[in-house]
Amino acid sequence: MTDNNSQGETTIRDNETDGGIQARRQGVNYLDAQINIFKPSTPFMRDHLKIVWTMFVAWAIIVFGPVTATFLAPGVMTSITVLGFPLHYLLTAIGAPSGALILSFMYARKRDQLDHEYGIDHSTKQPTSDTETVVSDGGADQ
Amino acid sequence: MMSTPLQLLPDALNASFKIVPAIMVSGMLLLFLGIGYAFRVADTEDLWVAGRSIGNVENGMAIGANWMSAASYLGMAALIALSGYYGLAFVVGWSTGYFVLLIFMAAQMRRFGKYTAPDFVGDRFNSDTARAIGALTTILIGFVYSVGQARGMGLVGIYVFGGDYATMVILMMGITVGYLALSGMLGATKNMAVQYVILIVAFLAGLYAVGYTQGYSTFLPQIEYGAMLGSLNSEFTEPFSGSGYYLWIATAFSLIVGTCGLPHVLVRFYTVESERTARWSTVWGLFFICLLYLSAPAFAAFGTDLYAKNVGPVYGANGMSGAEGDVIVVLASQLANLPTWFVGLVAAGGIAAAIATTAGLFIAASSAAAHDIYTNIVNPDATQRQQLIVGRITIIVLGAIVTVTALDPPALVGELVALAFSLAGLVLFPMFFLGLWWENANRQGALAGMTTGLIIWTAAVFNELILATEAGPLVPAYAEVFPAVGAALAGTPLVFAVTIGVSLATDEPPERIKQIVRQCHSPEPMGQQQSAEDIVDAKRGNYPADD
Repeated sequence: MTDNNSQGETTIRDNETDGGIQARRQGVNYLDAQINIFKPSTPFMRDHLKIVWTMFVAWAIIVFGPVTATFLAPGVMTSITVLGFPLHYLLTAIGAPSGALILSFMYARKRDQLDHEYGIDHSTKQPTSDTETVVSDGGADQ
Repeated sequence: MMSTPLQLLPDALNASFKIVPAIMVSGMLLLFLGIGYAFRVADTEDLWVAGRSIGNVENGMAIGANWMSAASYLGMAALIALSGYYGLAFVVGWSTGYFVLLIFMAAQMRRFGKYTAPDFVGDRFNSDTARAIGALTTILIGFVYSVGQARGMGLVGIYVFGGDYATMVILMMGITVGYLALSGMLGATKNMAVQYVILIVAFLAGLYAVGYTQGYSTFLPQIEYGAMLGSLNSEFTEPFSGSGYYLWIATAFSLIVGTCGLPHVLVRFYTVESERTARWSTVWGLFFICLLYLSAPAFAAFGTDLYAKNVGPVYGANGMSGAEGDVIVVLASQLANLPTWFVGLVAAGGIAAAIATTAGLFIAASSAAAHDIYTNIVNPDATQRQQLIVGRITIIVLGAIVTVTALDPPALVGELVALAFSLAGLVLFPMFFLGLWWENANRQGALAGMTTGLIIWTAAVFNELILATEAGPLVPAYAEVFPAVGAALAGTPLVFAVTIGVSLATDEPPERIKQIVRQCHSPEPMGQQQSAEDIVDAKRGNYPADD
């Protein structure tokens, strides 16, 4: 899924040196911050992508791990029984979807924390609805 | 792969007119029409993105209902019952892809703030040709996907109303199209929450009732079915018996990247009020989806066991037919001797699932035709009224083509739908992903990449389904690497490589486009009605977009 991406090395170096320290508090001009998934150019993106990639690796193991293990060691995976399930069936049918759900929840939480850290508030931008602050528990207005 | 002739349909299913289920299903359809009418729309903003006013849980339910089509409700249990461990590739692919969508795309898409998937491609790559390819792909996806829904609705319709398959397909598609032409997205979104509730209640009630009355399970059938797996035919759990490791991975991968490229899924992120809502409603959506996805294997196990006990062998030459498999959820309820009205409820859930998804797909296709092709390319001065008319004509024409194709569909419900996913994964996903995460992806790269994707998919479908002979695919070697339902595993990296290569070899995109991409990743909040483009243009002092 990830292809090698040979984009010039120079650009990020520049961005990193002048954007690294004070940018956390103020004054990053995000419209000048280059977007390249392998080369985050602002502290926010760097922190965000760290979360994204860590959780992506965990996700890949949860999703493709069981089937690969079953391919490599079919005897072991099919003979172990948990809750009546052969292990390979349990990890695939129940493990993968629930794992993805839990990871999604963790990601959304983490991202909220990150927003908080950077003083970002998505709830007050529009004066149209006062109920937006309780949106996490399902504020469905209108 | 090929289905049995549909005339041989559900011997085991008591196909005749049933008064109570017929009233239930009709009542449900009238309810949808009523809601559609109550929330009918007059302008295009409402038709397509519901005025961007939908909240978290409601949008999560809409994601769930939009997502869970006849392929989830009927087709997944069929694949698990008929194909064993390979069927789980569909469970995994159709659920876990949401995580990738969440971490890489949901919020960025919301910030980009465009109506449709083709709009994204057209604006991001600054090209009407890219927009047109995106629009055609959206329409093609809607078509393939809906054929699966029509087949599911037709099969379930037979059980409820009797009659023959063709009449049922025509009737059900007629209702879907009429409802859509009346209501549009706002009605459709309001309906989706209702449809989700109907389908999940019907599915879980069916599962619990079958499990309880047959002594399979009590409180948690989603786990308890494990205990009976040992007593089923070994084909149910045996890994890689029918199809190998590569096909498993290819299928799951295609469904995952397809999830991230499906226009009717992505449009759900434009209907929310902020990017934070986009994120949390994805989590909610996945939760609602998992409720059904964790239950489907249990339903398949119960159905398989009941079939083996009451009808005959499940596997082998005289085993369960494709058409029986596709209604195994309803079939299991009937074989468990549950009351007719109850089986009717389970059937109604299947129809709700199919209608909700078809609605979402047709809306995506109609906005692709009216907004992206007609207004942006054919007639830039189109009035709202003209756009609405073009949109509605598209829905009617598409409905007619889907109906005709569904009269003799080439595959199972789940497989048909999976084809749409591999198309989305090959053509649209790479454009969304690179478009959002690499600012130097440019027009030439996008055009080359999308064309590559379309060619790979078309070749795979012709090779395996349309030109295939009794002996199998036309070119077996191609089908090995690019199986039609899993063409994205080998194909998507290829499309990425082509897009990146061509982008590097040609000029960088204009600064304004780069800034729009950057704005999608900026952590600074945006207004409810703002798109990334608005903000960039305001900051640039409204330079005309001359490039």
